[in-house]
Amino acid sequence: MLIDTTQLALERSISGAAQRHEALAANLANASTPGYRRVDVDFHGTLAAAMGTGDKATVEHTAFTTQADPSVGVTQADGNSIDVDNESAKLAANALEQQAAVSVLKARTAIIRSALGVA
Amino acid sequence: MSMFGGLEISGSALTAQRLRMNVTAENIANAETTKGADGNPYRRKEVTLQSVGQAGTFGSQLSRAMGTSGVAPGGVQATEITEDQTNGKLVYDPGHPDANEEGYVRMPNVDTVTEMVDLIDAQRAYEANVTAMTAAKQMFAKTLEILR
Repeated sequence: MLIDTTQLALERSISGAAQRHEALAANLANASTPGYRRVDVDFHGTLAAAMGTGDKATVEHTAFTTQADPSVGVTQADGNSIDVDNESAKLAANALEQQAAVSVLKARTAIIRSALGVA
Repeated sequence: MSMFGGLEISGSALTAQRLRMNVTAENIANAETTKGADGNPYRRKEVTLQSVGQAGTFGSQLSRAMGTSGVAPGGVQATEITEDQTNGKLVYDPGHPDANEEGYVRMPNVDTVTEMVDLIDAQRAYEANVTAMTAAKQMFAKTLEILR
């Protein structure tokens, strides 16, 4: 089994982090748009559920949903629910997470390559 | 989801915030303009921002084809620049060429303090979006490392 579930999950989490970055960037872009409600991608939850099944194909075809986040109420008088500090923190954490996932994926690929005897 | 979606979203915000800064600068520049091209005192201008969906873009089509549901996060755009129709204050200055019969001059409805606050707000928003862009760039660079 050359490509295992973990490797597939790493690949999906990189993709999920990219999708989440778009959602968080959109939140920051709309920080002064009246009535805008924040959106987010719960790729951790979706991926954890997919990994829980233990089925490789399920993990490989996990799709993430960008959806409105009802947990955060309106923070500004114009009906906007964006807290710039909070969004920036989430964005920075998400970027680090993506970079960590890429590093782990690369390390695992290197192990497979060395096992195959490819330089 | 497209490779450069994040950059496009942040880019649209940079455009919108820069426009806000320009309009605010115009307001401050004209804080004492008692006669414009139409003969009336200057009226402060305001930018209306609106979020845009990505319904027609390549990225959203691709993610729909890949089975990604939910909302497509979009950027922001300035939809219109409106004039604030409230009247400015009257200042007693009989020697002023624009003074009325009683010697009062109608000043522009620009409050410099409000404009400064708007300017700072636009500047901070601009910086936040530049940071988001930098993060996106780092993520892409890291992803490309897989190939090395």
